[in-house]
Amino acid sequence: MTMRQWEGTLREITGIHGVRGALIVSADDGLVVAESAMEGLAMPDVAAFAASVISRAHRTAAAMGSSAPTRVHVTADGGTLYAVAGAEPLWLVAITDATVELGRLRLLLGDLAVVLA
Amino acid sequence: MTDHTPILSGTSQGFAFLDLGERLRQRGQFEAAATVALAGLGRYPALADAHDLLARIRADQGEDAPAISSWRAALECHPGHVGALKGLAFLAFRARDMAAAEAHLEAAATAAPHDTTILAALDRVRASTPAPAMESFRLDDPTSGLLLFDAQGMRLTGGVGPGTGEQQADGTAAEASGLVREAVRATRFLGLGAWKQLVFETPVARVALVALDIDASLLVCRPASTPPGRLLASSSRAAEVARAWLGHSR
Repeated sequence: MTMRQWEGTLREITGIHGVRGALIVSADDGLVVAESAMEGLAMPDVAAFAASVISRAHRTAAAMGSSAPTRVHVTADGGTLYAVAGAEPLWLVAITDATVELGRLRLLLGDLAVVLA
Repeated sequence: MTDHTPILSGTSQGFAFLDLGERLRQRGQFEAAATVALAGLGRYPALADAHDLLARIRADQGEDAPAISSWRAALECHPGHVGALKGLAFLAFRARDMAAAEAHLEAAATAAPHDTTILAALDRVRASTPAPAMESFRLDDPTSGLLLFDAQGMRLTGGVGPGTGEQQADGTAAEASGLVREAVRATRFLGLGAWKQLVFETPVARVALVALDIDASLLVCRPASTPPGRLLASSSRAAEVARAWLGHSR
């Protein structure tokens, strides 16, 4: 995919009610590959924290004797961080407020992660 | 019991065979009662009360299938026949099919809303209906896929499921506490508020981490086939059990 296509994909995600931003992140180093965000959201921070949580989830899954995670979803009082694995080491990440249509976001991220792969 | 023809013959006496058949049934003379009922049905095949009488006789004889057939025949003759509905409810109750018993009694109560015996029977059936099967949460069972651990990564109780041992549970507790710390840090710095839970999915498992309090978290591991919403509901209930466990332990 070209950068323009990736950005189009991310805009699809931010079109969902409650999504504040979406990005493609390299989980190895926490760098932003592409992004689409509302004003005031520091996407490099989102990428770094997402990569860190994903890395820890990998380690926990390994300790359990399980295979690598393909989805990670963190829920807090005021919103969520939702990440879906694409082609190694890329992850598709969305950050939302608490009103997000989570079921729809989950499906769309799953569909788009396949494209990303 | 030889000949009941005189009773069956006259319409002026109404359906006297019904009274006779019922008396014989109550005395336990089931064969004689059945003969009377069948003779009556021969003449009045569309009489719902006659089918009802025969059904009650068959039920008393322990012949449930013929009794059900007769009560269904009664309902075909007279939809909403209260005796037939009560009879079918009785047999369903006897077979411990509480849902069917309740359905028949509700239909009977609709047909005869002032019949207190039906309402009493309905209460009895509902009281006998077992509660829906609930998932049990055994924190002390390492195979239950429930792992309680503290903020330092020490296992408090539980394990990560069948086929795993204490070492694996301890290792998971150590790593999961690091994951929790990272989730807390991420949500705080990204302005998402206080961390509540984290779910990660692998091709074989769905795993939820739930915040219990500042010092402890719970890991719930379920097969990948578990619907995501069910995992969250299950985790929420398991967290209540875990909080109670912590309350007793401290």
